[in-house]
Amino acid sequence: MEAQLHDSLVTLFESKLSTQMLLNLETCSRCGICTPACHAYASMPLAKYAPAYRAEVVRRIYKRYFTKQGRFMPVLGEAKDITDAALVELKEAAYSCTGCRRCMVYCPFGIDTQQIMSIAKLLLIGAQAEPETLSMLADMSVSKGENIDALKEGFLSGIKRLEDQVVEKWRSQGEHPIPTDVVGADVLYVALAGAHSIIPAAAVFNAAGEKWSLSFFEAVNFGAFVGDPTKTRLILDRIVNEAKRLKVKEVCICECGTAVRVAKQLKDAPFAVVGLTEMHARYLRQGRIKLRKLPGSYTYHDPCQIARNGGVYDEPRYILRHLVEDFREMSPDPKYNWCCGGGGGLVAMGEETLEFRMQSAKVKAEQMRGSKAEVVVTACENCHTQLSDLNRHYALGQRVVFLSSLVADALIP
Amino acid sequence: MSTIAYAKELDLRNLPCPMPVVKISKGIKEVAVGEVVKAITTDPGALTDFPAWAKTSGHQILETETTGTEVNFYIKRLK
Repeated sequence: MEAQLHDSLVTLFESKLSTQMLLNLETCSRCGICTPACHAYASMPLAKYAPAYRAEVVRRIYKRYFTKQGRFMPVLGEAKDITDAALVELKEAAYSCTGCRRCMVYCPFGIDTQQIMSIAKLLLIGAQAEPETLSMLADMSVSKGENIDALKEGFLSGIKRLEDQVVEKWRSQGEHPIPTDVVGADVLYVALAGAHSIIPAAAVFNAAGEKWSLSFFEAVNFGAFVGDPTKTRLILDRIVNEAKRLKVKEVCICECGTAVRVAKQLKDAPFAVVGLTEMHARYLRQGRIKLRKLPGSYTYHDPCQIARNGGVYDEPRYILRHLVEDFREMSPDPKYNWCCGGGGGLVAMGEETLEFRMQSAKVKAEQMRGSKAEVVVTACENCHTQLSDLNRHYALGQRVVFLSSLVADALIP
Repeated sequence: MSTIAYAKELDLRNLPCPMPVVKISKGIKEVAVGEVVKAITTDPGALTDFPAWAKTSGHQILETETTGTEVNFYIKRLK
């Protein structure tokens, strides 16, 4: 590795050393409680999948450059230089971690492995060794923000083609079943590219009599997946600026765990941020929508970014209690629910991660099977894709559905 | 109906996010520079995603064709 690159990576590392990060890096007592908490280790018991091992890959570099012992006697402190080989290790550590934070729940010190992995991801970006697919997606999202005026017309024509399908689910009183660019709307809804993320949500907004507007942008933040703080901010700013321009009171993020988590971290925004599941639970509680009960047996997979990392456990269960005849938990305590195995950008990388995703989430597949439910419900695009892949791979014979789709299909006047 | 000749056709209908862009990004590399890929999509978001992707990745959308609920992109590999 060239000296200039080496030095720039050390500087990048230093930029991540907040007080919280220092606690994460200096506190581990190697008790090992986190080890079986990781779905990857629980499915494939190799040391490299233990959260403490992943963290140690980063921690040894920290020791080398930011502790006295590491600087002057690196051999004594298990310190490690930043080298090309170290980058390979960092990549394997960062991209075998889904950022689900299940290990953090078990850790007696609350060490945040996901946050430590953000150092690994930033160093990979600095060395231009990050997954190409994730950077490509982040660049696309940033470009969309810079050129939205030229792209609006195409988007609006695509939205127009969905209107009949929205009306099929709920005949609204308004002129536009999918309103856009509504200045003074109460809610800006930020969806994904697919129709499945727009049609059910639109039907429910209309059924609730909401004054809403569909965003021109997709909710997912690929900058966060790849761990690039600058792109994360640029991608989020597209939505923030649109929300400010329309003067909305709330921004509602679709069923995309990362998008919900990133948007909820906004500080001092002149609007509130809420996930679609929370919005649907609110409509139900306020009597703004009514649902018929659906037959069959259902279980719920908690998306890590919405539940463990976002605290939203009760709302989906409140909806499901009103929505289905037979609801059964897949985990005795949702806080400890297994990750689907597809987060952290793994699903977004597509087939290149498929084998690892299937092997590392064997425990999740067993949990799905163990629920004996006919239908697995979730509220995150990544989770839905991963659970559907697990369903096929392990021949579970279940149906994987979005919670919002069930709500839209069960609407009654 | 477009008359543009293409070397490869990709069916990207009803895929989860962000697979249409991921697959076109890989698919374009499977044709020679100067050749065209036809991508069949159903996502409304593709109408903003694909132009933004083409701009950042340096390829050219020759034509965007709407047929019912589908949108076909004819994309020329430029590099």
